[in-house]
Amino acid sequence: MALLLADSRLPVGAHVTSNGLEAALREGLAPDRIGDYLASRMQTVTAVEAGVAVIARHLVLTAAPEELPGRVASLRAHWAARTPSRAQREIAVVLGDGLARLAAVLWPTILDAATVTAAPGAGGDAPVGPGGDDPGGAARAADRRAPARGLPRALVLGLIAAAVGIDAPALVRLVAYDDAQTVIAAQLKLEPSDPRFGAAQVLAACAALDPEVGALAALTDPAQLPSSGAPLTEHWAEAQATLPRRLFRA
Amino acid sequence: MPETALLSSASAAPGPSAHPASAPAPTTPQRSLRLGIAGPVGTGKSSLIATICRAMAEEIRIGVITNDIYTDEDARFLRSAGVLDPERIRAVETGACPHTAIRDDVTANLAAVEDLEADFAPLDLVLVESGGDNLTATFSPDLVDAQIFVLDVAGGGDVARKGGPGIGRADLLVVNKIDLAPHVGVDVEQMVADAVEAREGSPVLALSRHREDTVDALRGWVHQILAAHTGGTHVPQDPGPMAPHFHAEDEEHAHSHDHAHPHEHAPTAGR
Repeated sequence: MALLLADSRLPVGAHVTSNGLEAALREGLAPDRIGDYLASRMQTVTAVEAGVAVIARHLVLTAAPEELPGRVASLRAHWAARTPSRAQREIAVVLGDGLARLAAVLWPTILDAATVTAAPGAGGDAPVGPGGDDPGGAARAADRRAPARGLPRALVLGLIAAAVGIDAPALVRLVAYDDAQTVIAAQLKLEPSDPRFGAAQVLAACAALDPEVGALAALTDPAQLPSSGAPLTEHWAEAQATLPRRLFRA
Repeated sequence: MPETALLSSASAAPGPSAHPASAPAPTTPQRSLRLGIAGPVGTGKSSLIATICRAMAEEIRIGVITNDIYTDEDARFLRSAGVLDPERIRAVETGACPHTAIRDDVTANLAAVEDLEADFAPLDLVLVESGGDNLTATFSPDLVDAQIFVLDVAGGGDVARKGGPGIGRADLLVVNKIDLAPHVGVDVEQMVADAVEAREGSPVLALSRHREDTVDALRGWVHQILAAHTGGTHVPQDPGPMAPHFHAEDEEHAHSHDHAHPHEHAPTAGR
């Protein structure tokens, strides 16, 4: 199941993002430093995403059914608070919606129990998020969306993982692999080089996160989520959103 | 300018016909007709959409989704054209993969179409413009109910003859910018005749947005296919990624196969 979800050919609309690499290169990141970019993502934004996925999985497996939607909404708020770039939050929700679309066909009931009130505007405990600071776009859209929409990809992934039996360490590695592979796949369009070296960089990035896998996989409380800032990564994510003549939307 | 046949085909009109039991189901008449516009870069896809909006926005409720290789240029062009409420024109960015976004993984486009339909319900027609790419890009029938493939005379009079999935089997082939034909040395009638032959008789429209009669013919075609959709008789068909195939002369046309191809001896659904 993890293999299926890690496949970049999965029809979830994920090919539109470079994880900020395009803006980074445009602003002067040397192509031979992309490995460093991957490593720093692993320590910061990827760790947050992996932790969110792990806790979402934990909630499904442990929370009382009537509490689950509220706990998921709270987790979403914790994620948003640790994802200060609006552009990063927006693409995360776009990808989450794409994954939820797929889940609606493969596992139709998985997301319903967790998301009855989780979408922004759908309940009193509306979390902050892309809708909070973009009233013209995401908020209005989220208000009338089906419940399974409006959640970031990592959270949707965690909900799916709980239902299909992916364990927490595998889930962490899945998030890490996807993050690195997304950057490298974009690199092959933006700064083509020997694709075998790209595969080596993906492996190196995942290995760099490996010492953290145990700690991330053990997370159960949103308050424990890593919250290290990544100002340059966040800047590039924001810059990407306004980049003229860009190939990637994020 | 020589008089050019407007809608050239053996059986241009979309109309009801019996479907084989194994055929795909007709489109859902309750929602909008989703009409894809594909074709090589520079042939006038955005301009065609602007023309449809200009000619029909008073009659029917239209929304537009654009797909660009780069950012949202086409959406901005259409908004600035002033032919439709700018809020009804939305851009999908395709991550440099315009093929993927309209065929292999339609997630982003389908979500955008559904959002637009929900935000401006009820819409009669949603036009989905592909990112300008090449002769092989066609829409998945999962994203659009019907598709127009656009060529232009300035791209060369021989392009229609080359065929390909879009030229051969889109619901309508438009030969655009025919007003330019004298300046680029293209014989429009010959180009249209080549196209009709490549399409086994399916409709071809020679169009110039500066010639009202051709715009009227375009408008008529859209109304016809919209009526077929609303009437529940239109069946989306995949132009396919492959070269056209041909049946042996003596093959019995029993319609037991479920793939799409036009027949000259009978009106075909949705064509």
